[in-house]
Amino acid sequence: MIDFDFLLDTLGKLLAAVPTTLGLFSLSMVFGGLLSLLIVAMRVSPYPGLSWFARGYVLVFRGSPLLIQLFLIYYGLGQFEVVRDSMFWIVLRSPYSCAVLALALCTAGYTAEILRGGLIAVPHGQIEAGLATGMSRWTLLHRVIAPIALRQCLPAYSTELVLLVKSTALASLVTVWDVTGVAQQIIQRSYRTMEVFICAAAIYLVLNFLLVRAVAMLEHRLSPHLRKRPTTAVNSHAQTV
Amino acid sequence: MNTPSITPSVATLAVSGIHKSFGSHHVLKGISMTAQKGDVISILGASGSGKSTFLRCINLLETPDQGSVCLDGETLQMRQRKDGRMEPVQRKQVERMRSQLAMVFQSFNLWSHMTVLQNLIEGPMRVQKRARAECVEEAEALLQRVGLFDRRDYYPAHLSGGQQQRVAIARALAMQPQVMLFDEPTSALDPELVGEVLKVMRSLAEEGRTMLVVTHEMGFARNVSNRVVFMHQGLVDVEGAPAEVFGARSSERFRQFISGHQERATA
Amino acid sequence: MELFDMLGFSEQGWGAALLLATLLTVALTLCGLLVGSVFGALVAAAKLSPRRSLRGVGELYSTVFRGIPELLVIYLFYFGGSTAITAIGQWFGAEGFIATPPFLVGALAVGMISGSYQAEVYRGAYLAVSQGELEAARSIGMPTLMLARRILMPQIFRLSLPGLGNVWQMSLKDSALISVTGLAELMRTTQIAAGSTRQYFTFYIVGGILYLVLTGMSNQVFGRAERHMGKSQRRNFANH
Repeated sequence: MIDFDFLLDTLGKLLAAVPTTLGLFSLSMVFGGLLSLLIVAMRVSPYPGLSWFARGYVLVFRGSPLLIQLFLIYYGLGQFEVVRDSMFWIVLRSPYSCAVLALALCTAGYTAEILRGGLIAVPHGQIEAGLATGMSRWTLLHRVIAPIALRQCLPAYSTELVLLVKSTALASLVTVWDVTGVAQQIIQRSYRTMEVFICAAAIYLVLNFLLVRAVAMLEHRLSPHLRKRPTTAVNSHAQTV
Repeated sequence: MNTPSITPSVATLAVSGIHKSFGSHHVLKGISMTAQKGDVISILGASGSGKSTFLRCINLLETPDQGSVCLDGETLQMRQRKDGRMEPVQRKQVERMRSQLAMVFQSFNLWSHMTVLQNLIEGPMRVQKRARAECVEEAEALLQRVGLFDRRDYYPAHLSGGQQQRVAIARALAMQPQVMLFDEPTSALDPELVGEVLKVMRSLAEEGRTMLVVTHEMGFARNVSNRVVFMHQGLVDVEGAPAEVFGARSSERFRQFISGHQERATA
Repeated sequence: MELFDMLGFSEQGWGAALLLATLLTVALTLCGLLVGSVFGALVAAAKLSPRRSLRGVGELYSTVFRGIPELLVIYLFYFGGSTAITAIGQWFGAEGFIATPPFLVGALAVGMISGSYQAEVYRGAYLAVSQGELEAARSIGMPTLMLARRILMPQIFRLSLPGLGNVWQMSLKDSALISVTGLAELMRTTQIAAGSTRQYFTFYIVGGILYLVLTGMSNQVFGRAERHMGKSQRRNFANH
């Protein structure tokens, strides 16, 4: 019943679109990540203006659908002469860049909240110990607070990255030929929904699986202090002998 | 600039007139204390008497509303903010003075993502900008001293409470501090582990370290310290040599305080 | 056209259409969530079951519906459903292409996706119910069914509320993707309005604001519900 030739052909076409999906993902992850650092810094800063702006940013980008954000950037901004004449137009004209921009802005909002959660989870006592030792604020941040906070964030961040992979599919709605876009085109031409769906779904599942494993490995490497108690010095000597 | 005290009359640590309120609650109502080199001062008091708050005002983990802190002749400069609260004039001065005052916390507060050895060299290397080799050498010697040399590559989570606190003491020593501040160092420990920590503290006192110890350990206060300060509701109620405070010159309140403690011990 | 006229309720105004579309979005999400609660409860039960095969089925459902883009699920149900229905229709002698009703597709898609997240919420809530309370009920001889109804379910409901609030918000936003089926929910209506007036920026902002209003109101409602449910509990560091 299943046409294997068609299946393989579809798989080939879809795999050819994977670099586009990966590109969308990586660029938005990097830009979104950098932006989220800025947003969370504003959020926890003592200046109410910055803090409220950050709160608003997170509220807007987590409270509205990514699709509207994307259309707003792609269709909405292009409407204005002043935008079309500006130097940003090279970027904003391309659907790919608009998609990356929308994805980055959106993931920055979610990531900022995850980072904030990590910051809150840093045990206050360890911060005090750093202060009591005479650490400057910068030393405290990059030797105590950031290492602990980032490790706390990793599980929640891996969930966010999976959501980011899924979100890249929306780029297909602004004429970007990613995996979902190609899949939809094949479906509309051949009406063989099930086969195409299975191929596309499999590709995304593999991508997400690899992503989750990668983050889990990173988490494992970074937390020797959270693993089980090591054997005593005597035992470990006996083992190496 | 820190000049070493030449004249014996310059106290190592001079704290005067410390007031501190949390909201409407006036916790410290004017505490003064001086510590000469080699003094081991036990600070006793019921919970709520303000003893921990006082200790934390010395290294500015709490900012006093009034009063001054003077370490080895250098006074910490403070000024009043627009909203009425006090703040240090120069952050750098605070950091420098803190690096000369080492604190041992009730909940140890070792940095969980660093090994024991890394915990010890972090301050000396990053804050005091000493060479790594020198810091490691000193750290290893200190660990030998507290009996935890073979745990130097362990993470804090893998150590018992008593072990963690001994590491914390070694970490404080690694900063080569002028004065050591102990904030109820044994209160969070299981009874069997208290002894090993007190032993280390005793050896520090015997080698002439200047120590301020907020504690509930009457034995330590009586036998190891050379001065006892009893605080009650934000003020110093009684102070003096242990023999005096625990004996003839004792106040009524202090007697009540001790009897309460002793009853709990036997119950 | 003036902004006010465009958004107003006159002949050329889009105000009425947008408001109706908003209601449709809410209805769609609600139906989806109800569908999802059924799937969610089943998958949660499967994942908690002592039988490995059932746990495997639950895991599979979760992995698939949490791991693939929502858009693909919608395409599957819409195009796949249409193909199936068209085929069935042809079998009965009907001609041409029959599309699946978009609302149905939408509710089913949103439902099955939210179901996978709801399953996690229910599973977590079940595991968090205090064993002591159940033991106390058993020890006075309460029959199992009554125990489930009077002790277990109310606790699960209370513990699920925060998670369900998140799933609701997530589903509201997912519903925007149903616009690809042509259903005149908020996203699609915004799109049509934007295209027909060429005022893209304006309408997408308005649409965004309407979604923010929906999510904002939802937060309030869920917050109230959580506080009401939590009245009997002691405040800890997390639940305020």
